[in-house]
Amino acid sequence: MPQHQAKRLALSQRQAALILLLPFMVVYGLFLVYPFFNGVWISLHDWNLMAVAFNPDAKAFVGLQNYERVMWGRNITWGAFASPALQVIGLLGMLASFLLYRSGRAGRVTAIAMGLAALLLFVLPGFHPGEGGRWYDRRFWPTVGNTILFVGLAVPGVTITAMLLAAALNGETRAKAVLRTLFFLSQVLSVTVVTLIWQIMFSPRQGLLANVTELLGGSPIVWLTAEGFAMAAIVIATIWWSLGIAMILFLAGLQDISQDLYEAGALDNATGAKAFWYITLPNLKRTITVVVVLQIILHFQVFGQSHLMTNGGPNDTTQVLVRYIYQTAFRDSELGRASAMAVFLFVIMGAFSILQFVLGREKDE
Amino acid sequence: MNRSYYWLVFAISIPAFLWLVPTIWMVSLSFQPNDVLARTTSTTGLGLIPIPFTPDNYIALFQFGQVPMWFFNSLIVSAGMTLAVLAVSTTAGYALARLDFPMKGPIVVLCLIGLMVPEQAVFIPLYTMFADWGWHNSYHALIMPRVAVPIGVFLMMQFFKAVPRDIEEAARIDGVGWLQIFWYVMLPLARPAMMTLAILTFLYAWNDYLWPLVSAQQREFFTITLGLASIQSNFAQAEGLGRVMASGVIASLPVVVLFLIFQRYVVRAMTAGGTKG
Repeated sequence: MPQHQAKRLALSQRQAALILLLPFMVVYGLFLVYPFFNGVWISLHDWNLMAVAFNPDAKAFVGLQNYERVMWGRNITWGAFASPALQVIGLLGMLASFLLYRSGRAGRVTAIAMGLAALLLFVLPGFHPGEGGRWYDRRFWPTVGNTILFVGLAVPGVTITAMLLAAALNGETRAKAVLRTLFFLSQVLSVTVVTLIWQIMFSPRQGLLANVTELLGGSPIVWLTAEGFAMAAIVIATIWWSLGIAMILFLAGLQDISQDLYEAGALDNATGAKAFWYITLPNLKRTITVVVVLQIILHFQVFGQSHLMTNGGPNDTTQVLVRYIYQTAFRDSELGRASAMAVFLFVIMGAFSILQFVLGREKDE
Repeated sequence: MNRSYYWLVFAISIPAFLWLVPTIWMVSLSFQPNDVLARTTSTTGLGLIPIPFTPDNYIALFQFGQVPMWFFNSLIVSAGMTLAVLAVSTTAGYALARLDFPMKGPIVVLCLIGLMVPEQAVFIPLYTMFADWGWHNSYHALIMPRVAVPIGVFLMMQFFKAVPRDIEEAARIDGVGWLQIFWYVMLPLARPAMMTLAILTFLYAWNDYLWPLVSAQQREFFTITLGLASIQSNFAQAEGLGRVMASGVIASLPVVVLFLIFQRYVVRAMTAGGTKG
């Protein structure tokens, strides 16, 4: 191609950038940025899905009233020991994060995040309706509590199982590769396949677990409709489903630990479990934090397991935040209130995303 | 390779087998007659071995019922979403990684903030917007929201940033335009990254449940994931347990095959998607 002709046809760098960026920016603005702000706007309105569908003017600006109706109540007071168990755990958590930081067992970001979480655990359960008072929405905070309980059970479950498996399956042999594949396989299934399998696994009449219990002479547990067991059931299904990514992240973390450390440890008689405790675990600290934060973000958005396996029941014990948002919006048509809850969800997710981002940056430095 | 190694492999094979049991059970039940399963699921070996055996559930699935249509919908939505995501992500990723233009920094930050917005924070406004446009119950309604998620742009941007500059500079000296460099030089280099992104997107599209549940109200536009949810609540009565399980197997087949063939990419894609999006 002759030089002068190319110059005439060629676009400047800015024009090229504009052409290449434009498709994404249009889609991004239209289907993510605009809806996000629109969601905040909806949350400031009394907005009924059906009414507005028939008459676009049937919405009224109500300011922050939706947030008040969702999160607040009449005569709410705060007491240091309104919910002693949680608040004591919160106090202990603050102490623990401080001690972990001082003793150098936890990095600064980890310690601050843990301390903040513990502080919230101390402060938030302290709010309760005083005499003659009540929450405007009785179901919201219990739903948030269920979601946190689900996260609190699923995240340690996944993390510990995945870490032990990764430690055992770290290595280049064929057998280990096959075993890794087996444990990862369930991760690619969709939530509806997972709930389909586990619904029937847990079924008291047809379930495999019931069949095994009967074979051993016991009477089957009514997993999905018994209070106390229902949450355990969806946690088990979730651990089975989402172990793979955590395991892979731990395997990557293990690769970064120098083999010399183990050889040096072996000289001091640190092998097997001892080596795991004194060499592997301290060196996996960063990976553990990353996995935990990632899992919190992932599992806070739990929806399908609760929606399909237990319908939020029995007695609302497995009702989770996203399902409550979904129902408020599309069953009760209360888009305003549902959007207020969605903003609440975004704030929590956003906090953890920032934490994840900061942790990622730390690694790069 | 000493004795303790074989003990370790043996010891972990037991939980690995238990881990597989739920999947084996689904496959096994799908090959057993419905009338037998209605009485007991504890047939041979606790129901883990498909005896009595029958392929009828699969035959019935393809003769009647909507599973083939849902499967087809899922294919179109997943393929369409994958192509669209690849198109906008490679172009935008290249521009952000390699070209100089005003406002570049703020645009990168704007995209980064978008990574923090979960699907659940925008699905209500998206619903009302698509309702206003009359978009619901269509393929593009199922595809477009995910195309706007900037995870792909970031994956491609990181990849392009790592490509040595001299390749591009050599082409510039020869007078090749930016778009040609992108198309003829950079895209062929980006094949592995595009593969990872394609698999990440395909898996997401195939398995997504919340948005199709909101947007696709007519059964003709259900994806297989959504369709499977709609038949599992009344599985025992209406369809028969074996047939529902067969639907589950069909719904999982593409992703499992994809996983077994492209295991390396799938693992990379899912961890990249997990840690960054």
